[in-house]
Amino acid sequence: MDEDLIERAQQGDRNAFGLLVERHYDFVHSVAWRWSGNVSDAEDIAQTVCLKLGQAIRAFRGASRFRTWLYTLTLNAARDHRRSQSRERRNAASFLADPTSTAANDNRDQAEALWEAVRQLPDKQGDAVLLVYGEGLSHSAAADVMGCSEATVSWHVHEARKRLKILLGRETM
Amino acid sequence: MNDDLNRLGRMTPPAPSQDARTRALSLAMQVFDDAENNSEAPQGTAGARRQSSIINRLWSPIMNRKFLAGSALATLLVVPAAAFLTLELTRGRLPVNTGVQQIEVAGKEALKDAEAKKMTPAKPKAESSADKIAEDEIANLLPSAADSDLRDATTLPEPAARRKSGVEVMVSKKMPETRQQEPEFDVAAKQTRRTQFAAPPAVATESMIGGSVAEIMPSPAPVDTLSQPEENRDRFSSTDTNPVKSVATDPVSTFSADVDTASYSFVRKSLMAGQMPDRDSVRVEEMINYFPYDWPGPDNKDQPFKATVTVLPTPWNANTRLMHVGIKGYDVVPATAPRANLVFLIDVSGSMDEPDKLPLLKSAFRLLVEKLKPEDTVSIVTYAGNAGTVLEPTAIKEKAKILAAIDTLQPGGSTAGAQGLEAAYNLAQQAFVKGGVNRVMLATDGDFNVGPSSDEELKATIEAKRKSGIFLSVLGFGRGNYNDALMQTLAQNGNGTAAYIDTLAEAQKSLVEEAGSSLFPIAKDVKFQVEFNPAQIAEYRLIGYETRALKREDFNNDKVDAGDIGSGHRVTAIYEITPKGSPAVLNDDLRYGTAPAAQADVKPSGELAFLKIRYKQPDSDTSKLITTPVTQANAVPSLEQAGQDIRFSVAVAAFGQKLRGTDAVSAYKYGSILDLAANAKGEDAYGYRAEFLNLVRLARSLGGE
Repeated sequence: MDEDLIERAQQGDRNAFGLLVERHYDFVHSVAWRWSGNVSDAEDIAQTVCLKLGQAIRAFRGASRFRTWLYTLTLNAARDHRRSQSRERRNAASFLADPTSTAANDNRDQAEALWEAVRQLPDKQGDAVLLVYGEGLSHSAAADVMGCSEATVSWHVHEARKRLKILLGRETM
Repeated sequence: MNDDLNRLGRMTPPAPSQDARTRALSLAMQVFDDAENNSEAPQGTAGARRQSSIINRLWSPIMNRKFLAGSALATLLVVPAAAFLTLELTRGRLPVNTGVQQIEVAGKEALKDAEAKKMTPAKPKAESSADKIAEDEIANLLPSAADSDLRDATTLPEPAARRKSGVEVMVSKKMPETRQQEPEFDVAAKQTRRTQFAAPPAVATESMIGGSVAEIMPSPAPVDTLSQPEENRDRFSSTDTNPVKSVATDPVSTFSADVDTASYSFVRKSLMAGQMPDRDSVRVEEMINYFPYDWPGPDNKDQPFKATVTVLPTPWNANTRLMHVGIKGYDVVPATAPRANLVFLIDVSGSMDEPDKLPLLKSAFRLLVEKLKPEDTVSIVTYAGNAGTVLEPTAIKEKAKILAAIDTLQPGGSTAGAQGLEAAYNLAQQAFVKGGVNRVMLATDGDFNVGPSSDEELKATIEAKRKSGIFLSVLGFGRGNYNDALMQTLAQNGNGTAAYIDTLAEAQKSLVEEAGSSLFPIAKDVKFQVEFNPAQIAEYRLIGYETRALKREDFNNDKVDAGDIGSGHRVTAIYEITPKGSPAVLNDDLRYGTAPAAQADVKPSGELAFLKIRYKQPDSDTSKLITTPVTQANAVPSLEQAGQDIRFSVAVAAFGQKLRGTDAVSAYKYGSILDLAANAKGEDAYGYRAEFLNLVRLARSLGGE
């Protein structure tokens, strides 16, 4: 089904493209939400991903791995977003004593400490943990998304777990 | 942990807001459409040439790589040239013209020096090292010619030299002028030379210290050690100058021999550094004994030494006379010198990390090792935080091993002298040579500041070891923390000498030239006693020997330790005596004193004093006595008729007393000392006396006289 739509979109069928984006918007949004931790950031990220799709769909090859590609796009967008945000926060810090980022976190009820901890991880380790545990992907699927080898993903996960233990201190992890 | 992490997956994402969703979708569509439109337009540009003016088209080939390479090459040439220029400018002269002068000077001076060297072989080392530097500079200036032709170039007549070394290239335009201006150049060049080598002695010393033993000249060239005056922690025991004694009440003077020379070196170092020496650091007898005098010596080994007494007028007091006693020890012929077993006990504490300490010490010991015979043994013990054996007893045959061990010495840590001393004595015991010389040579800059080391305890140890045949010599180094009193005590109790080494020249003197005297004792516990005839002499004063005074009754007591005399040692003692009836008499006659007439009958008339010397053979415990009467036959009517060595020693005595602030010589000027010493300089093969004259001059300037 996806393959069909992609093919048609690549040939310039804007209806097919619209349909494709619509079908996957929720997926992108939920991934973005997991990565960013709040709705408005997730919407921004999802929008960025949609723009990327519009620009790049014609160049996409390998229709069977569309979902992997979406992951990659979303992860990159989420990372870019986080960076630009931290840049803004840094700039704003000179005006605002206390950034509102914690208040914007919608995820308080769900494993908030863990969430915070994962988001503090280095990019690659955070991605690996979210893909493996958050998205439930296998290590090899995650490796596809992240563009590295399966062993590297395993290593990232391993490192992340070590680090999380330190970050969360005495809590049983 | 897995459970916790899995919870991440169970998180339910909130539904995206419809608003955002539609906005994103419409944006996506818009971008999709744009992308479609853009895709029709070709990307990049066609191969058509960019439009540019004819000027640009002509200009660009000029800027092509070939020409850029040219400028890069030019840079390559300019950079070394600039570097050379900078280097020369920082050395403080202009490169081109001075270069010529340098070469001319070197050429001429090389000739001059060659001649000069023929005439005065003992020319100071500084000259030659300076020349060496000049030669090196030519080598630097003229790399092309230097390797092959340097020697020729410097010794050839000067135009030839210039041609050979290719300087014409540098100054080709100026050649004629250069020739005309040569005399001027010479003057300028000499000046350059002088400024350049303003401190030749220092240069020489550095090279001496760093360089090999073979390079060292036996010339005690004075070294300007202009150290900053800093807090002085040198310790000297203060002793009062011997007072004038009345013969009527105290006719006998007793003292022990002293062949140490440490005080002179210390005074020299002080004066060279621009400070008047500490009064307590001046021991007149050590200053007098520093210089080699040509006293007549004994002819055979049975009589270990001979005393020569001269009575002469006092230069600084017209109404008194000097009784000069010169003693020369028997010179052991090197072939018959006994085997030596030496242990170097070396202080490597952190404070030794100064150029005039450990490095000098290393060089000094290298000199000594060169001097020893192949079958002699040497061991090295160091002491710092804890004592360690660096070298087990090793025969001089394995010289390389010994020198390597000396080289490895590194400073660091504090000083545990007592422990080191113990280790050294153990090693000396281990390699004990029966009937030979067994000696620990302690080299240090200060004292034994760690461990159970009260001076008394140390003294006891050293005395005990002395009785078992192991003697101790002390070599002092450095300034600022020197514990002179302890060093003296140690050496005196260990039957050894205390020498203070401030320059390599001094090391050469005390370790190499006088190695025999300090290593091979010919007599021990040498005591002097002089009894004055009250009929002739009213008062007397012993110059120096304050730290060596003995009780009158100890003279005949063989248990009392006294100084030792080594092979070829010279000991000089000078009394200032006031004849009976002289206006210089200070003490009034005793109202209740016995009538001198009664004694005069007993003694042969005309005898001034009676000299007794008591000594022990090195391996014996009972003393022998030598006696010499002093009569008018020993007297000379004027100062000039006394031998030049005697006059010189008197000058040294005057200088020493003046530095000590003795009243008797306070009216005697440094200038007079200078005259007295200069007239008695004699041959002075090693330049010791010339150096003394310099010290007097320095003291005169510093003392503001």
